[in-house]
Amino acid sequence: MSGAGFLLDLHRCVGCGACVLACRIENDRAELAAWRRVLPLNLRRHPGGPTYFLSVACHHCEQPACLKGCPSGAYEKRADGIVVHREERCLGCRYCEMTCPFGTPRYDAARGVISKCHLCAPRVDAGRLPACVAACPTEALRLVTASTPPTGEATVRVPGFTDPASCRPSLAFLAPAGMRRAGLFRSLEEGLKR
Amino acid sequence: MPPLRTVRTVCPRNCYCTCGMLVTLDEHDRIRSIDGDPENPATGGHVCLKGLSYARRVTCADRLLTPLRRKPSGAGFDRVGWDEALGEIAARLTRVRDAHGPQAVLYYEGSGSHGALGALSMAFWRQFGGCTATYGDLCWPAGLEATRLTYGDNRHNHPALTVQSRFILLWGHNPAETNVHQWRLILDAQARGARVVVVDPRQTDSTDAADVHLQPRPGTDAALALGLARLIVEAGLHDAAFLGAHAHGFEEYRQRLDAFPIDRVSAITGLESESIRALALEYARTKPALLIAGFGLQRHSRAGQTMRTVALLPALTGNVGVAGGGWQYANLASHCLRPLPLPPEPPASRAFPVSQVARHLETLDAPPIRAAWIERGNPASQNPAAPRLRAALSRLGLLVVVDQFMTPTAELAHYVLPAKTLFEEEDLVTAYWHPYLQWRAKVLAPPGDVRPESDIWRAMCERLGFDTRYFPADRETLLRGLLPEDCACTLEDLKARPLDLSGHGDVAFADRRFPTPSGQVEFSSDEAAALWGVDPVPDYVPLDEGADAPARARYPLQLLSCKTRDRIHSQFGNLDWVREVERPHVLDIHPDDAKARGIADGSRAAVWNDRGRIELVARVTPGLRPGVVHMLEGWCHAGDPDVNALTAEGITDMNHGATFYECLVEVARA
Repeated sequence: MSGAGFLLDLHRCVGCGACVLACRIENDRAELAAWRRVLPLNLRRHPGGPTYFLSVACHHCEQPACLKGCPSGAYEKRADGIVVHREERCLGCRYCEMTCPFGTPRYDAARGVISKCHLCAPRVDAGRLPACVAACPTEALRLVTASTPPTGEATVRVPGFTDPASCRPSLAFLAPAGMRRAGLFRSLEEGLKR
Repeated sequence: MPPLRTVRTVCPRNCYCTCGMLVTLDEHDRIRSIDGDPENPATGGHVCLKGLSYARRVTCADRLLTPLRRKPSGAGFDRVGWDEALGEIAARLTRVRDAHGPQAVLYYEGSGSHGALGALSMAFWRQFGGCTATYGDLCWPAGLEATRLTYGDNRHNHPALTVQSRFILLWGHNPAETNVHQWRLILDAQARGARVVVVDPRQTDSTDAADVHLQPRPGTDAALALGLARLIVEAGLHDAAFLGAHAHGFEEYRQRLDAFPIDRVSAITGLESESIRALALEYARTKPALLIAGFGLQRHSRAGQTMRTVALLPALTGNVGVAGGGWQYANLASHCLRPLPLPPEPPASRAFPVSQVARHLETLDAPPIRAAWIERGNPASQNPAAPRLRAALSRLGLLVVVDQFMTPTAELAHYVLPAKTLFEEEDLVTAYWHPYLQWRAKVLAPPGDVRPESDIWRAMCERLGFDTRYFPADRETLLRGLLPEDCACTLEDLKARPLDLSGHGDVAFADRRFPTPSGQVEFSSDEAAALWGVDPVPDYVPLDEGADAPARARYPLQLLSCKTRDRIHSQFGNLDWVREVERPHVLDIHPDDAKARGIADGSRAAVWNDRGRIELVARVTPGLRPGVVHMLEGWCHAGDPDVNALTAEGITDMNHGATFYECLVEVARA
């Protein structure tokens, strides 16, 4: 990770969805599909794996597949790493929905355009945290920038999250702790490496 | 861009957190953000998803904005003006009172919205000549009384001191879901090296993050607590100096422990002896150790005595009056307001326990209940024996319900009056986890024809020619008069930040002064015996509908109906924003119990006992203790299963609580 993005502490995230609601409020998405989602892993608590939650929006990839797949140049990767989508250039062709492996772009049928998380660029430009990060009651979701990169313990590949190899998403994770969960997480992680 | 305005206020839900909030609005009074108030050190700069959902809740399409009157045909409602509605209600209430006496009218208020002004309803009812009301509480009263009997007062350490703990024992408590701000502090303590141990029959988000999880059979907590105490005393790890100076009745208690050798405790609780021993030794040896008890382990008939056994463990180990240690159940430090000026209570009032609304609506005589007024509550879904309660409400000659939404209770009403939200009237709000009294500012004008309850009561008083001086036009003056007499602060100070007016300091009982009859921590309580007819020394007594009950022959599974983060009881479940992020509505059942009944994951299951029967989708999960099934409470929308069709109208051994978790059932494929 070299630019702006997110760090999610899987030990602290309780999957509450406050981030999703804060994003809805901040970005005027009361009636539209939310940009952020919480994906629970193993809510049934199968003994073979840990239970944790992936709070995900746009990962502001180093090699954004949305940008590569966009025929109209609606996507831009800013110098600070934020990937923004410029609605005025959007054809509504929805190719980016197909090229993004994370299901990030949202199509707004009423207006015929795509939209997505812009990491609250107006807030970040004003020196504030993105709304989702500011709202997180357990401080599990954090902002990463070029000057505040994730710590050495952070990992980019975790069970349940799409293989990041193709587009190098700017999303890192801290592994869950806890006697039961830490061991289960490590064993699944070993499986990913094999 | 036109300027935004930001207003400091507070969330008044029945929740541990009572978050300070900063609400930012644009020039059209649209909510642009809801942030945590950093001036509240307990909740810090965050609210939770429910607090954020107010941005949706205050404007959502299903909010009630006008008074409604049931159609003459009985099906559905028509809009009606306030004058017409209140005029008809006043006339019908008066007719009931004049023919049958004021006790023929039930006034029921729930805990749906906290604030000092809620008590203004009594300015009406007392002038009405009285009414029938309820006493006790559905939620937590046995634990409150157990704590009061033991330590003399319900206060505990400031939440911020949690991070100083070296050992945190969460007993029947799931703060990752029910007190997310406390959870942040517990995670911080854990990151600094504290051990976190959870006692809970369920695997939860809290147990997942913990270092150790013990899963006892529900209702056996007293045996576990007495067994732990015995091991601690046997190992000489009790704090003899503290007990010598500050314990009352320790010798009697010590004799009681003889009855709880580890083998017996293991048999009662279903826990391995070694895990019991390890917990006893680690809890007693690691200082400071914080014991936080939830409300769940006191939702049964032996609740008070159970909570006394658990509450004594911090005293036994010298963890009382210590930063980072202590007993946490509820902190009433902010409950310091003077009572509202009200007319004197008339002699004709009567009351019954709130866990038994259905029974009393069915059986009360001389006079029977003929009319009811319900506000801030949804008993048709949330109280025990809900189907019977609904039937009884349907038979009333008059039912008035005040609410923001068309709840199952409101659906039964003759008149539904639209209620304000937290943003639409100023008030003072107390808490029960942190010590702060908070000012709830008026952020928005009520929409549509909505009136705050205090205005409704004033109008009702006017209708009946009652004295209206209890309702000053200026609410600030009224609220200013509620501040404690010796209070150095003003309302203006409270508007600037949350304030702890208790004078107790951040460490509860730091002075080792306990306002009990003996002035000491009461291991034996004559007061408990005198008030509640219980053994002065707390004991383990099996539940009538518990793990050891003969009734298990027919209904072998213990049903728990717990809380989660998405709702406060039945509130918030109507919001699309919340439904999008909420947990699935399922019956959790252990694989062994499911297999014995031919139930597959995702299949429909029937759950029943002698009181009722419901159906819902099963989730087969090894996260539960075998013999226990679980579903979330608070579902009350179309098609939702009704857990309170199964729960009993029991009463706790102390302080008139409800017994939701003492509920045996059988389950089969539907």
